Amino acid sequence: MKKNAIACFAVLAFASLALTACSTPNEEVAPTAADVSDEAVEPVTISYWHTMSDAESAQLDSVIAEFETLYPAITVEPTRYAYDDFKTAITTGLAGDIAPDTARMDIAWVPEFADLGALSRVETLVPGFDEISSDVFPGPLSTTYWEDGYYGLPQNTNTQVLMWNKSQFESAGIMSAPVTFDEFAANACQLSKGTDQYGFALGGTYFWAPAPLFYAAGGEVTDPSMTTAKGYVNGSGSVQAFTILKDLYDEGCISPNLLGGGIGTADGHGTGLYSMIIDGPWMVDIYKGSYPDFETNFAPIPAGAGGTSSVVGGENVVAFASSQKSDAVGKWMAYLLSEDAQVSMAQVGMIPTRASLVGDTRLPGYFEVFMEQLETAKARVPHPNWGDMDGAISNAFQRILNGDQLVQISLDQAAQEIDALLK
Amino acid sequence: MQVLFFLLPGFLVLATFLILPMGYSLYISFFDWNIVDPDISKFVGFGNYTEILSDTIFQKAALNTAIYALVTVPGQIALGLALAIALNGALRGKGLYRTLFYLPVVTPWVVVALLFEYIFVGQGGLANYILVDLLRIASEPIRWLADPVLAFVPIHLLGIWKGVGWVGVIALAGLQVIPRDLYESAALDGVSNWQKFRFITLPLFRPTLVFLTVVLSIGAMNAYVSNQLITNGGDPQDQTHFILTYMYEKTFSGLEFGPGAAISYLLAMVVFMVSVVQLRLLRRESALGW
Amino acid sequence: MVTKKNSTIRHFGLLGFAAIMIFPFIFMVSTALKPQAQIFDIPPSLIPSDATFQNFQDLLRIDGFGIYFFNSFFVATITTLGTLAISSSMAYAFARLKFPAKGFLYTLVLAGMMVPPVMLIIPQFLMSKYLGLLNTHLALILVYICMTIPMQTFLLRGFFEDIPRELEEAAVLDGASKVRIFRVVMLPLVKPGLAVVTIFTFLYSWDEFPWANVAVNEESLRTLPIALAFFQSQHLTQWGMVFAGAIFAVVPVVLLFSFFQKYFIAGIASSGLKG
Repeated sequence: MKKNAIACFAVLAFASLALTACSTPNEEVAPTAADVSDEAVEPVTISYWHTMSDAESAQLDSVIAEFETLYPAITVEPTRYAYDDFKTAITTGLAGDIAPDTARMDIAWVPEFADLGALSRVETLVPGFDEISSDVFPGPLSTTYWEDGYYGLPQNTNTQVLMWNKSQFESAGIMSAPVTFDEFAANACQLSKGTDQYGFALGGTYFWAPAPLFYAAGGEVTDPSMTTAKGYVNGSGSVQAFTILKDLYDEGCISPNLLGGGIGTADGHGTGLYSMIIDGPWMVDIYKGSYPDFETNFAPIPAGAGGTSSVVGGENVVAFASSQKSDAVGKWMAYLLSEDAQVSMAQVGMIPTRASLVGDTRLPGYFEVFMEQLETAKARVPHPNWGDMDGAISNAFQRILNGDQLVQISLDQAAQEIDALLK
Repeated sequence: MQVLFFLLPGFLVLATFLILPMGYSLYISFFDWNIVDPDISKFVGFGNYTEILSDTIFQKAALNTAIYALVTVPGQIALGLALAIALNGALRGKGLYRTLFYLPVVTPWVVVALLFEYIFVGQGGLANYILVDLLRIASEPIRWLADPVLAFVPIHLLGIWKGVGWVGVIALAGLQVIPRDLYESAALDGVSNWQKFRFITLPLFRPTLVFLTVVLSIGAMNAYVSNQLITNGGDPQDQTHFILTYMYEKTFSGLEFGPGAAISYLLAMVVFMVSVVQLRLLRRESALGW
Repeated sequence: MVTKKNSTIRHFGLLGFAAIMIFPFIFMVSTALKPQAQIFDIPPSLIPSDATFQNFQDLLRIDGFGIYFFNSFFVATITTLGTLAISSSMAYAFARLKFPAKGFLYTLVLAGMMVPPVMLIIPQFLMSKYLGLLNTHLALILVYICMTIPMQTFLLRGFFEDIPRELEEAAVLDGASKVRIFRVVMLPLVKPGLAVVTIFTFLYSWDEFPWANVAVNEESLRTLPIALAFFQSQHLTQWGMVFAGAIFAVVPVVLLFSFFQKYFIAGIASSGLKG
């Protein structure tokens, strides 16, 4: 019986080897007739890793098809990863010396990977860099800069705006979304009814959640040259923002979900549990899919001492230093920043980074409020240690909400921790 | 030599994918490792190890992991063994019971963790519904995951719940390998049930018990998925980490490979020592003639 | 002796216990039948008012879901066969054969159980790359076999040790080689153990995620756990889809288990001690 088992195993092992050998992707694509004709151009395949959703991936395929028609010798091979595991995949790829040629990564990761030496500078790599860099929004562009140069291009950007439940507002006698902090705080409490309904909810205490209000209150995390946080993250604007949130929390106007284990903002807003949330353009497609009967309403972030403002998010496309195919990579990155590609991806909810496209009629209608907000939105600190800084602020926020420390003292501690990280 | 036939294939595989990788990991734990350009990595000796051992988050993670093991291992063995004894012997529907009890084991950790996260949602959720509305033990919904202690309730429950069927299956196999004839001849000799249990079942079940204790302990100390999904890596405030979730965060999120490798070696050493101790203890008693 | 009364008590106890065990599953099935909007209703309903198979339909319509399923099945099957062959040979050698450095080698095998798998991912990745195995199913299979050998060898060694030596000695007197003894005498006697190894190895391979995530990124070769991970996006978890997918993932292993249960009983019946 065992000999049989071994024999079976061997046969299967060989069979699987044969099968997998046949399906292993080739490095080079066999030249087609079209290639051979004009120039003697080497056919080349470049890889592109991303975390796009189903709909976005489908649109990406058509963008790739367009690109490949323009450059028949280049084939782009996309690979999709789940968001939570993406950083691990990139890290492992780097460690194993098989990083992709290009990838679309969170803007916050670019300084980190650039600092490690994993990314290539793009000024000379990407044809038309000067034109591109002068046209894209300054906020997003700043997230690609580290130490001595630019290490990526902003592929798509986004920001958060206020989402408000019009019917709940009107039932309470409020006809429009709040415009100032005071109105916002008042509305939040008017719309709260015990545990059945909360006027406002945040997704968590990680910085991205309170950031829009933080920046609208005039808060800053560090000074412009990123040397110190003292006087900034514990400055007056920051204190004001967190104080308002703390007061609302104590009065029961903000859902306690932000401390963990509760109902998320997307589900909560969609089911009418949360009257207001702050979120991004992806919600349109998400609601279409999961809550088709829900009507979405957007409004700018209420204005504080800093006027209206918000936080810049999005993804940058980067080129890895280990790639040998600079020519193809440069062309691919340039194409992703071209008007055609940007407008195409806009159809599935990805906001373009080119300022010249603001108001363009080919863009979906709901983009308008986001692109307007982008004019005042601020980027987070583009530093390799941003992750830990985020943690420091998040922990401070939790201490504030739990009543462990007063707002000012808690932020002072965060300032100290962030200073240590900036060295 | 015939022995080679039995050992070679296994050791080839182990050498390639286990032993050599372990060596690599040990090596990088002594460096401030740069994955992009390893050559520029700085040698720091035991620096990573001392940094980790004095890290308060790591210390809390170690404590959490130890408590998890002390709670879930006995829990799983006790319940699983009871199950196996109940199912041993003639019983109608045995196969069906076994399949039902085995369902938690068979479901991926990811799914089960999400399931428990969903059950223990702080605002509403099934657990709160049962405690507040049905049994009326609690006056208001408990926000399980917002509390650094209560967050462990779903995690511990999950750990026990998922393992009971596993223990049951192995314990059952372990009980059934004991030949019936022994029991029958003992019955003919007029031996009591308790004596049968003490002199036939226990000694012959010992290897299985040893196996279960060691493996479950190792599994508990290596717990990762359930904690990662339910607490999202240490929330709130890094208080709920297990050793491995912290290691994962350091390595793949913070890109600190040296310290990450150091953590995993510290863990491996502790696991090794605990296992050796357990093996010695449990086997030594059997040498006393049980 | 199991009296009728005893039997009834046992049944009650088991049923009660079983109910607690499977209650989360009933909840899972019920959630899989709900549209997203109902997922957070209070009180949570066991039988959804708008029960819908939409989640299952959406799942099956996903490009390549069937392929992920097949890949997982293929990898898990080969892995299980490999581990069965290797771990049983090694367990027998450690239980019954004499050879130099036996203690040391056994410790080495056990060390494999104690190492956190996550720690090994990067060097395993490097090794696979060096051997040209990246992006192949073989990378998954070999690493899975490697990770399951220690525990399964440990388990089987215990079973082999339980077998009385008289049987072997009788065969040796008959002039049988070690290999023949192993195949004809020892293996059949540890069938329950082999059944356990089969189930556990298959399960490990079927559910494994971290290694599958990095070793294989070719769409057509990916496994089921990766597919399920896609339902948790940054912004929203589609609980209904996750659990619908989970049900698909659970079914094969449950079937496997039900099948092998009978093997336990068959194994006992053919125990060599009878005559």
